[in-house]
Amino acid sequence: MIEIKTLVKNYGLNPVLRGVNLHVQAGEFVTLVGPNGAGKSTLMRIVSTLLKPTSGLVEIGGWALPRHSDRVRRYIGLVSHQTMLYADLTAQENLLFFARLYQLDNADARVARAIKYVGLAARQRDPVRTFSRGMMQRLTIARATLHEPDVLLLDEPYTGLDQDASQLLDDLLRREVDYGRTILMITHDLAHGLNLCDRTAILNRGKIVCEVNSHDISSSAFLELYADHTRHQKKKKQTT
Amino acid sequence: MFFTLPRMNKIVRVLNILALVLLLINIIVVFFYAPTERTMGNVQRIFYFHVGTAWVGAIAFFVALVAGIFYLRKPQVKWDTLGLSSVEIGLVFLTITTAAGSVWGRPAWNTWWLWSPRLTLITIAWLVYAAYFMLRGAVEDAEKRGRFAAIYVIISFITIIMAYVSIRVLRDIHPVVFGGTADTAQGAAEGLQEFEGGLESMRMGLTLLMSTITFTVIYLAWLFNRMRLQYLKDEVDSLKIRVVTRLQGGGT
Amino acid sequence: MSEQSVSPSLPGAPSFFTAVKAIVWKDLRIEQHTRQTLSLMVMYSLVTVVMFNFALEANLAAARDVANGLLWATILLAGTLGLHRSLALEQDNQAIDAILIAPIDRRVIYVAKVISVTLFTLLLEIILVFMFVVFFNKPFWQPAVLFILALGTIGYVAAGVVITSMAIQTRSREVLLPILLFPIVLPLILPAAIAVAEYMTGQPEMTRVTSTVSLVLAYDLLILAAGFIAYPYVVES
Repeated sequence: MIEIKTLVKNYGLNPVLRGVNLHVQAGEFVTLVGPNGAGKSTLMRIVSTLLKPTSGLVEIGGWALPRHSDRVRRYIGLVSHQTMLYADLTAQENLLFFARLYQLDNADARVARAIKYVGLAARQRDPVRTFSRGMMQRLTIARATLHEPDVLLLDEPYTGLDQDASQLLDDLLRREVDYGRTILMITHDLAHGLNLCDRTAILNRGKIVCEVNSHDISSSAFLELYADHTRHQKKKKQTT
Repeated sequence: MFFTLPRMNKIVRVLNILALVLLLINIIVVFFYAPTERTMGNVQRIFYFHVGTAWVGAIAFFVALVAGIFYLRKPQVKWDTLGLSSVEIGLVFLTITTAAGSVWGRPAWNTWWLWSPRLTLITIAWLVYAAYFMLRGAVEDAEKRGRFAAIYVIISFITIIMAYVSIRVLRDIHPVVFGGTADTAQGAAEGLQEFEGGLESMRMGLTLLMSTITFTVIYLAWLFNRMRLQYLKDEVDSLKIRVVTRLQGGGT
Repeated sequence: MSEQSVSPSLPGAPSFFTAVKAIVWKDLRIEQHTRQTLSLMVMYSLVTVVMFNFALEANLAAARDVANGLLWATILLAGTLGLHRSLALEQDNQAIDAILIAPIDRRVIYVAKVISVTLFTLLLEIILVFMFVVFFNKPFWQPAVLFILALGTIGYVAAGVVITSMAIQTRSREVLLPILLFPIVLPLILPAAIAVAEYMTGQPEMTRVTSTVSLVLAYDLLILAAGFIAYPYVVES
């Protein structure tokens, strides 16, 4: 579903991604973890068609980016740590706006269903600025899945969520998995990185340094593995 | 870049010498070949510089527009550099034009400056292109800076087109536009027209042509010097990258 | 692959004007909730007018003479507020990204923003014209003057949306806006103000009105075309 080959992105003279290779199968849930500055956000912006790569191949559903961005955009939904919602609009209006932007049919019914689905029916007529962080994030998921995307992209979705809200988000994500959506998540939060997904990859200094099957590895073993790869970086930095 | 470095060096050398020689000849031509104008006297000679620099200003901004369009089509540093250098030079020439005009205006209109439409619109053009550098200075990311600068230069050229058209239209209908300074504004408009239609002799026309060619060559020389600097800078940067990658252990 | 594939709900490329309508609807809805943009613009205009009067030392005759210029200056100044509010709104919470990953043409955003900011500015102008008639006793309230104001506004906003979208993405943010925008639109405001000035005398000279208004129209068309073509580069990297 998602195919990334030798992806390179430079910011001026600064290489941020230096040859990333990643393959995500249809229906698979892959998590990318990595320290700050590893290039996670850049990778996510490229996959979500918001940024053009310097070189390399990115394909979603067989359509190459950035050439077929228009087509790809119909099949992806993005949840980020930014809510991407209008604080002055109500929950219902926010979703209605995106339904109209995507020109979905039965917009009203769809929106009502989506709001109920994320458990916000009681507050749907309140402006989003009165919502808690967790409620906003649930609404964000409703927004990102409103057009039934095949691919769901998650950019640090756990930022700013407390224990309960994280739990709720986990439940919602599990349901998205059951729906059969292909999910690519990036996070620096290892605990969440591991327990939901099928596969975890570690991104460090613009490259994928390690890929593991999440079901085959205990979280403590993974933590060790992760520490290994990031320590590696620090050692190298000292020598330069 | 457009040329290889040795080629660039050669072009720059030739242009530098050519510009210097032409400038010297031009000065001689303006002061000794061109006849003294009847009503204005020697002061009129400044108009050869005034018109020459104004011409180059217009060309420079047009080159910047073209560079902007090419940059948006394919974002390459050379187009950004071409646009930046051209605006830079254009602004300097526009300033010279205004200063020279002002020096002429003092004896002709009895004042350094008038808010006639033409002068107002020239001031606006100057402000538009001065703001170009403010915009560039406010963007850190090189890619975004080039992109925004290109868009801005395209939009600002509309201002230039409109300024030129406005001067014609507004003056054709009525040379006086601003109530308070009616009489002086009229004088300004007439003063300009008098010169434009008043190249009474062949020698004046030839001098003007010579000035225009000279300033165009100076512009080209300046532009190529500027481009060459960018070329050298890029070279240094790419060497830096190679050194840094080597130091990081090459394995990256 | 999902059994609820996206294909049935998305038959083809979304139509341009439906998307424009969606964004305009959204902007108007936000304004309906907050009423902030318009009230900000009106208050700002009031302050400007009072300040200018102060500069003229409450000399009514002098104030009347400059009323036309003052009207345009006020519109320009207050207009930057409307432009900034409308475009900064999209930067809050990165909402712009949600629009950008939607399968719509980027020029939709340009057209929609020009429409909604123009609507706000036109509303402001109606209020301003009324105020100016009261304060300066000048015949601003006539269809021709309102028409010229509207034409000027379209060009101003068309340039403003491009410039503002860039300005808010820079380090200096909105501080840069007037410096970049005002010189760009002065060649538009100049003929527009001259045209309105003709109507202040009571006997407009039609040849002058048509020539200045055609300048305004030419500017509008050029800037709209340039903005329409260049806008995708403003929002996309």
